[in-house]
Amino acid sequence: MMDGMEDVLPSETNGTKSGRSDTVDLNDSTLQVDISDALSEREKVKFTVHTKTTLPDYAKPEFSVVRQHEEFIWLHDRFDENEDYAGYIIPPPPPRPDFDASREKLQKLGEGEGSMTKEEFSKMKQELEAEYLATFKKTVAMHEVFLTRLAQHTVFRNDHNFKVFLEYEQDLSVRTKNKKEKVEGLFKSFNKSTDEILLAATQKDVDDYFEREKTFLLEYHMAIKDATTKADKMTQAHKSVADSYIQLSSGLSQLGTIEGPRLEKFINKVADTFEKARKVEGRVSSDEDLKLSDTLRYYVRDGSAAKDLLYRRLRCLANYEQANKNLDRARAKNKDVHAAELAQQNACEKFEHISNKAKEELNDLKARRVTAFKKNLIELAELELKHAKAQAQLLKSCLQSLPEE
Amino acid sequence: MRLYLIVSASPSLCPGDNPQATHLPRAWAPLARPPPHGSRLTADLFSTNPGALKSPVSEQTTTPEDQRSPEDPLTPPPPAASLTPEPHNPGTPPDLFESVAEGPVVVQGGSPKLSSVPLDLPAGGNGGEGKQQDTSEPPVPPSSILPPMGAPLTPPVVPITPTATPSLTPNITPAAPTPVTPVAVARSSPEQAEGDGGDEFIQITVSDPQKIGDGMSSYMAYKVTTKTNVSYFRKKHWSVMRRFSDFLGLHRKLVEKHLHSGRVIPPAPEKSAIGTTKIKLGSDKNADSGSLDFIERRRAALERYMNRTSTHPTLRADPDFREFVELDAELPRATQTSALSSAGVLRLLNRVGETVNKMTFKMDESDQWFEERTQQIESLDAQLRKLHASMERLVNYRRELALSTAAFAKATAVLSSVEEHSSLSRALHQLSESTERTQTIHHAQADADFYVLSENTKDYIQLISAVKDVFHERVKTFQTWQHAQITLAKKREAKAKAELAGRMDKVQQAQEEVTEWEGKVERSQEEFERISRAIKKEMEQFDVMRVKDFRDMVIKYLEDLMTSQQQIIKVWETFIPEAKAIS
Repeated sequence: MMDGMEDVLPSETNGTKSGRSDTVDLNDSTLQVDISDALSEREKVKFTVHTKTTLPDYAKPEFSVVRQHEEFIWLHDRFDENEDYAGYIIPPPPPRPDFDASREKLQKLGEGEGSMTKEEFSKMKQELEAEYLATFKKTVAMHEVFLTRLAQHTVFRNDHNFKVFLEYEQDLSVRTKNKKEKVEGLFKSFNKSTDEILLAATQKDVDDYFEREKTFLLEYHMAIKDATTKADKMTQAHKSVADSYIQLSSGLSQLGTIEGPRLEKFINKVADTFEKARKVEGRVSSDEDLKLSDTLRYYVRDGSAAKDLLYRRLRCLANYEQANKNLDRARAKNKDVHAAELAQQNACEKFEHISNKAKEELNDLKARRVTAFKKNLIELAELELKHAKAQAQLLKSCLQSLPEE
Repeated sequence: MRLYLIVSASPSLCPGDNPQATHLPRAWAPLARPPPHGSRLTADLFSTNPGALKSPVSEQTTTPEDQRSPEDPLTPPPPAASLTPEPHNPGTPPDLFESVAEGPVVVQGGSPKLSSVPLDLPAGGNGGEGKQQDTSEPPVPPSSILPPMGAPLTPPVVPITPTATPSLTPNITPAAPTPVTPVAVARSSPEQAEGDGGDEFIQITVSDPQKIGDGMSSYMAYKVTTKTNVSYFRKKHWSVMRRFSDFLGLHRKLVEKHLHSGRVIPPAPEKSAIGTTKIKLGSDKNADSGSLDFIERRRAALERYMNRTSTHPTLRADPDFREFVELDAELPRATQTSALSSAGVLRLLNRVGETVNKMTFKMDESDQWFEERTQQIESLDAQLRKLHASMERLVNYRRELALSTAAFAKATAVLSSVEEHSSLSRALHQLSESTERTQTIHHAQADADFYVLSENTKDYIQLISAVKDVFHERVKTFQTWQHAQITLAKKREAKAKAELAGRMDKVQQAQEEVTEWEGKVERSQEEFERISRAIKKEMEQFDVMRVKDFRDMVIKYLEDLMTSQQQIIKVWETFIPEAKAIS
């Protein structure tokens, strides 16, 4: 799930506003952020964000704070809204920790407790708990990735809000948006999407490169979203197959007891094999999930962020052209020319800045994506191979031992 | 003429179905134990027979006569006469199906000695229903004949009347002495016969389902191919066409003939109104996967059914079975198998009656063995059902897995086409293909899950029911015995009362009744003991077969699973280099 380390181009540092010129390398120890601990309480998860830094800006070289999911979102929004960062792809925010599915399953299991044997019940419970744990680990990882990306981005790491997020020991008192704000938020996004559509329809892009990128991104986004959903379904089905082995296994053991000596040993061996096979299948499912689905999912979100970038740029272009028109009008009327000129110049600068940045970011995204896919696909294939071999071996040894009776 | 008499007595024949007669001789050849002349004799005798049953009846009365002559120094004619009333007795209207069923059985019983006489009998076939590798058992009726021998003709009669009790049968059978010797003789044969089952080989395959006809009158016909080295079959390898109702008809006949002798009859596949109608009404072209599935399931079930039945030494020797497998022409429609026929309704009523009986009558079990076995059977039943349910779940989930994998493969293909980075695109394309292949594997595995595991377990659940039926038969005979004892006591009481009252005429009558009932008690007790013994033996064999089948099933399944995994290994092995090739 970790995307490839951002290869921050050295040229960045020259253009940055902060004027920092330290060389940034991949394993930068000047600012290291990770989530050292996480606690899952009833409805929320508390992450312990641990920072190690050598930057002078910070009060202490090493410190930790406790943050909740909402605060991460707050941080992301701060970046998103900041016009200075308009040219960058803002790292996508981590998804909300969602334990509902697991909880539901646990509940259903509890209800069905009467209808299965004790062992069956305890095994299924174990499975569900493992699942819960896996979901938990995933959400921690995703939050961590978000922070790491920010920490390593030459520009973002110096953001003031980021610093506050890392350092401020009290609660950031980021309340979840109350109704009004939620409605506002809704409006905003609605506006944004209509604007997007409008722009897409009307605004002709000057640069061919961006035009192509846009089309590509749109198509790609749809395809990858689709692939993610299907991948999820597939891993789910795989998990169900693995789980049904549990019942098969315990059913067989019970049959063995009834059957008596003639078949008992045989059956027990088979039941055992099913139990082991189940564990392997379960791992296949979770590995598929981790390597395949998650990668796809991450790039869905990243792609989304890239789309946002393009949108901002387009908006900027529109503004720029608008400013041009204004300038022309002002000149024609010979009124407020200076103001218009200034505005136009601003818009022009902004636009160019964004365009350049955007180009870099998009290339960057591409490279990152390719690397991540490569890494994960290789790992996926190797794991699948390993598991399939394990299962085949398991079955083979079972078959060999059976006729011995 | 006589030949035709016998012939027409074939199980599958309807009374007036003469055209069939010409075909039958062939099928009957092996079975032509019933000495033609024997039957002829009886045929005459039977002219007096209240026409209720036609030739079949004559059949049944014939043989005891016959067998008596060759085997036991018993007086043929008189018993025969006594027989006459009886055939009519089984109050059922000439339900040819039933009565016919008796025919062959009886016929077989008498055959042993006369095997050489009739139509071209296979050499070793003498009386060899009970798989006689050693032809040394001529006098001994094959195990399947046991019932007729032991309780002469009792079995055939029993199924006819729902409430038929063994007490009725003695009427049919010749006087009491007769049963004795045959029983003694017969007892050894089953053991012998069953013991010899080892070297024989018979394998039946059901294939090529074809739809014959059109619309509601159409039906599915299957090709039944038999390969065998069993002596009493005429060829080593041949095929016949049979329709589904033929299979059901065979099962019914076997049940009627053998259930009360304590045999476990493998259950036939169930009828399914929906599936059948879909097939009947659907055209050949657009046979959708649902009905293809249904046909395949049915074909597989029929094959398993035939093989199970043929493994059973007694059932294999049964003339009905042999005819089913051998007769190279259409079998007469077993109309009684249809649910709405009068026989069907009768069966339904029987079943209801039996269920009530099962629930209300609590048998005083004196035999520890039966006590234990009954319990074991019950728990086995419950457990198998649970297991079957979880197997079905597995099948469903795996099918879902196959479907979702296919969907994913498609989505990945799309993604690969959109991806602009060329080597990544290639890799994604490979991923899509690999997943496609995995999907096929999953799908095949789901099928294996289903056919190997789930369907076989379902068969076993049904077999267990058949076992329960047999156990229940025993309970019924016990009931009869009890009833006879009670009645005897009453008759004795009546006699005592009559004596006290000095009513000599009444006493005479009472005395007769007492004697009659004493006989009945004796016979029903024998019947009970006989069926108990038979069941024990049967269960031993059943256990052996069941264990073997189960092991085979599980081993086959595990092998399939392993093959799937190995195929998956190959798929991923080919993918890895592609993934690594991403630049």
